[in-house]
Amino acid sequence: MLGFRRVPIACRSRLKALRGLYARYYNENTPEVRGLRLLGAWLSPSQFEQFNAEAHFDVVGCATGRRYRIHYGTQANVHELDDEGGLKMGWCFVPQGRLVPGDVMLAQKIALETSESRALSVAIRFAPNRKVRDDRLALIRQVLSGGSNGSRRPN
Amino acid sequence: MPTQIVMNHNGDTRYHFDARNAEALAKAEERFKQLTGEGFTAAVRTKPGEVIKINSFNPKAEETVFFPRLVGG
Repeated sequence: MLGFRRVPIACRSRLKALRGLYARYYNENTPEVRGLRLLGAWLSPSQFEQFNAEAHFDVVGCATGRRYRIHYGTQANVHELDDEGGLKMGWCFVPQGRLVPGDVMLAQKIALETSESRALSVAIRFAPNRKVRDDRLALIRQVLSGGSNGSRRPN
Repeated sequence: MPTQIVMNHNGDTRYHFDARNAEALAKAEERFKQLTGEGFTAAVRTKPGEVIKINSFNPKAEETVFFPRLVGG
């Protein structure tokens, strides 16, 4: 026979607090959040501000001086920009393995800023005809502001 | 304390080492050689937002980040 025991109120509130603590700890230590924290620490001040505001940031290729926009994501998230700042061409290149968005974006930034030609040589081009979803803006802002146990980037 | 940050599916794994400890230094250098030998790229920050790729171990770098070989997506 199944029996349900009533949990005393004091115990229930302790359980609720424990669940909240666990949820908070979990949210602050997910791979995604850790990746965003690392990325935030390695962005330039202007890239940091842009990422915080728009969920993407621009980098300048070291070899050609071309501008690229790196969107939040793990694939097909890099676009070359034209002179007016419009999306000109998509370049898909990612680090091997299943990395979180922040890590992928940091690797793409470093690659374009230090070895652009090599990065583009492995990249697959795609037409920038789809809108990239920047739907993680709330999380990005929370992490970059230090609200998810993150530390604001050093100045 | 210098830190080597290796990207992986968990976000990253961090290895701190004491640059004044010869044994820790040798271990960190060995890790650098192993990772770059496997195709990882190593990079350090020279100032906020400015990064350079390095091909040899730099014991003075505050943080060295390693990411796996790039492939077309």
